[in-house]
Amino acid sequence: MDRATGPVPVARSRRPRSSATPYLFLLPGVAIFVIAIIWPALQAFRMSFYHWQIMAGAISQWIGVDNYVRAFRDPAFWLSLSNSGIYMLATVIPQMAIGLFIAVLLKRRSPSQPLFRVLYYLPVITSWVVVSLLFKYLFADRGLVNFTLHDFLHLMHSDVSWLSERGTALIVICLLGIWKGVGWSMMIYLAALQGVPESLEEAALVDGAGPWQRFRAVTLPAINPATVFLSVMLVIGGLNVFASVELVTGGGPVGQTDVVLSYMYTQAFRYLDFGYGSAIAVILAVLVFVLAVLQLRITRDRGEELA
Amino acid sequence: MKRSQRIGLAVATAAAISLVIAGCSGSSTDSATGTKASPITLTFWGSYGNGGNSTQQDALNKTLIPAFEKANPGITVKYVDIAYDSLLQKLTTSAAGGQLPDLVRADLGWVPQFAQLGVLAPLSDTMSDYKTLAAADYPGSVATNLYKGKYYGLPLDTNTRVLITSQAALDKAGVSAPPKTFADLEAMGAKLKGTGVDLFADSGLGAWNISPWIWSGGGDITNADETKATGYLNSPQNVQTIQMLVDLYKEKLIPNLITGNQGATGTSDGLPKTQYATIFDGPWMAGIWGGQYPAFKPIYSPIPAGAGGSISVVGGEDIVQTASSTHAAAAQKFIRFTQSEQFQIAMAKTGQMTVQPALADQQAQIAAYYSVYSDQLKTAKSRVASPNQSKIDTVLSTSLTPAFLGKTSVSAALDGAASQIDALLAGS
Amino acid sequence: MTALAPRLRARPRAAAGAATTFRYVVLIAGAIVMVTPFAYMVATSFQGQAYVLTLPPQFIPSHPTTANYTTALGAQNFALYFLNSAIVTIISTALSVLLSSMMAFAFARFRFRGREVIFRILLAGLTIPAVMLLIPQYILARDLHLLDSLTGLIFFYVAGSLSLNTFLLRGFLASVPAELDQAMQVDGATAWTRYWRLALPLAKPAIATATIFTFLNGWDEYPIALTLINNPDHSTLPLAIANYQGQNATQWGLVFAASLIAVIPVIIVFLVFQRYFVQGLTAGAVKG
Repeated sequence: MDRATGPVPVARSRRPRSSATPYLFLLPGVAIFVIAIIWPALQAFRMSFYHWQIMAGAISQWIGVDNYVRAFRDPAFWLSLSNSGIYMLATVIPQMAIGLFIAVLLKRRSPSQPLFRVLYYLPVITSWVVVSLLFKYLFADRGLVNFTLHDFLHLMHSDVSWLSERGTALIVICLLGIWKGVGWSMMIYLAALQGVPESLEEAALVDGAGPWQRFRAVTLPAINPATVFLSVMLVIGGLNVFASVELVTGGGPVGQTDVVLSYMYTQAFRYLDFGYGSAIAVILAVLVFVLAVLQLRITRDRGEELA
Repeated sequence: MKRSQRIGLAVATAAAISLVIAGCSGSSTDSATGTKASPITLTFWGSYGNGGNSTQQDALNKTLIPAFEKANPGITVKYVDIAYDSLLQKLTTSAAGGQLPDLVRADLGWVPQFAQLGVLAPLSDTMSDYKTLAAADYPGSVATNLYKGKYYGLPLDTNTRVLITSQAALDKAGVSAPPKTFADLEAMGAKLKGTGVDLFADSGLGAWNISPWIWSGGGDITNADETKATGYLNSPQNVQTIQMLVDLYKEKLIPNLITGNQGATGTSDGLPKTQYATIFDGPWMAGIWGGQYPAFKPIYSPIPAGAGGSISVVGGEDIVQTASSTHAAAAQKFIRFTQSEQFQIAMAKTGQMTVQPALADQQAQIAAYYSVYSDQLKTAKSRVASPNQSKIDTVLSTSLTPAFLGKTSVSAALDGAASQIDALLAGS
Repeated sequence: MTALAPRLRARPRAAAGAATTFRYVVLIAGAIVMVTPFAYMVATSFQGQAYVLTLPPQFIPSHPTTANYTTALGAQNFALYFLNSAIVTIISTALSVLLSSMMAFAFARFRFRGREVIFRILLAGLTIPAVMLLIPQYILARDLHLLDSLTGLIFFYVAGSLSLNTFLLRGFLASVPAELDQAMQVDGATAWTRYWRLALPLAKPAIATATIFTFLNGWDEYPIALTLINNPDHSTLPLAIANYQGQNATQWGLVFAASLIAVIPVIIVFLVFQRYFVQGLTAGAVKG
């Protein structure tokens, strides 16, 4: 394989005279990031050790790791964590696979290509409020899905009350997540596919490789950075699922479909228990971070990615 | 490092830094109200926006506030509309930053919660005429402002739930009038069996949903001091009342909307479509049906009576003044103004029911169905005025749902709920 | 290239035709699934309030009206909110893409002390639930005098998008051929020149992607705007649209109409920037 597109063997010889340069490139971004994200995050972390009083100037009581202990003993928290986990496991791979499939179909220039790109991107830009409302109607007891499966195709004996039980309600939420997220993955892959040099594909063609072999041997490795990026982002996004759950089931029936963020939101902004809410947020953040670093580590073994 | 590089980096850095600096200089516009006696601006947050229907906001901004400002020279009221679903979050973050408005139109469930946090001024201490003003309002509405012996607000508008019945469903059951008692209701249920029409529908098992049943059945949720639920919530009367509902649920006369099925037809659609025979709901439904189901003629009647009579639950909003307001006197003037006939009647015309029984007749002339609500309000009770009210709601619905689903007995469910609520009441 | 051409043509025409047909069938079927909700939203926005959200769903309004659009456009200060949203989103997108591409360039092109740590800190930024930051960010905004100002929104929107963009762009910038970079360096080009003249142009598809995403996120952002903005004159579109949702009733036709007007700039940005997704940009540069 032509090394031209491989990750750069970063110039080690340059090190002595480039000492300040990378830091200057990082400075403005990192400064804003530290002030606006990291500093508040540390504050939220601090909150998690208090029975935190929201009022400005109020004295909060230090309770050590009590909020964390409480979370580990709280069955509702574990249920919400397992729901988030299920959502993540069920949505990440379909989004990537379907997104890549569409991107491959749409990478070539043709008169209809921009139109298709927009159509597939529409779910991404349509607001969560609207799509959640619509899914709720589609999967209502007397909705279009039941009508199609039961009355029209006769695949079922009776209507399924999709949103009345945890299992079926999670299916609806996962379908919504995949449907809305496919366009996003497609975009990343479209951008990545532009970077696959035609010369490589042509070379493989000359070698007599079939389309699938060419795809596996040339295209997939070349878009590996995008795959790594997507898998990390979608795992993070999957465990942080929130809006769709709030809007479709509201965590119901009776908290059965609560996910970590909806449970956390209820604790913080409905019960005003910010200490506990923060502890839940910290647990989730640590979990997600560890997963992300692991993913990057694993992929680095194959490529030369930075983790 | 070369010059062009430095310039490039400098530009980017400068852009980043200027963001912070621009913010520093760009603020401090709202603090026009200095120490002088010159114009006071009161900020008032609420959600009169009402889903894009601007009549309430227009009444406030175009009629009422100008009238108040005219009568009180030197005071300007700036109303800020915030989406209902977001108001609690906005209030919370603003309280954390110490940047609250002077006045808030608060959902009555939030008042004890914010009072506990020290966000609100105790009006029963700071307003000399508080007792007089409160005496003119429905006692159930006033009670929502109570926290630890002090009152933190005054009722602004009120509502309650009454029984709403579909004529078409009555016809199907062969019944002439809406059920007046629990017994009537059960009898009607027997006649509706097999018609495909559900007897009664509701969208949950929280305090708002379940209290009218419990109170009308002769039971209670807590003792009068609101310090204990055990012995009250799990009383034999309540077991009997809830068992009646559970039996109806098992006979499929109450749909699983009540146990949290978000896919079931909502009450506002199910009633006019004759999918449901009866529901409990508030005075806002008339406006919704008027637009969506113009042909539908709902029948309004009191909550079916049980051993305890016909007793419903108080809803609505209170007006509160924040403890941090630097214009307490002016804010209290506006609070008094909200209790005036002018304010109450103008808002009643936009669908916000008056909090004063004395104005009920005048209100009934605006719309006849109001009188059913104002009659119901005379005996309606408020939910437990506890900072943990929303947690109590969660306890009620998570405990009762398994009883409806047949996973536990009603008495076990109520025992469990009562002990959890005991803890919540003690905690506050 | 010329040697290849005959081989490519040697593929049986019928098979190629069938493949194209298959491609279009799949694409169209998929597009229908993707577009249906949006079509429903369009249909509902032209439906009279009384007939909104009936079951079964109506895709052709039974009582068509443009009333929702005239109400949305006429109500409150729609034009002002639109302008506010545009100012905030355009500035924050431009700044975010600039700053994050600079960071991505540093990560992709240099080895330096603290590289891994800094990158991990950025990554951590993605893992913190944004909702939990609202209160600390509000207090920070108060202390920096950024409350109730568009500048404050820009500040937090830039900060909030840096992690994702840096992470995205880093991968793409790393795959820009090293030979070119080294060649430019030999010619005496500074790091800034290599970033500005070489890396950025070659990473156009990725920059376009980052722009599209950042614009969309800024344009739709709600929680921070809700938290920071008090004065209606500084409202953005999502705040205005949320106010159409009521406690007991929502005029969905109005919400959908307003959302559709709001989505137009997002589509325009998408159409403009997706044109940079052209295969061969990088490859061409290698040959050149």
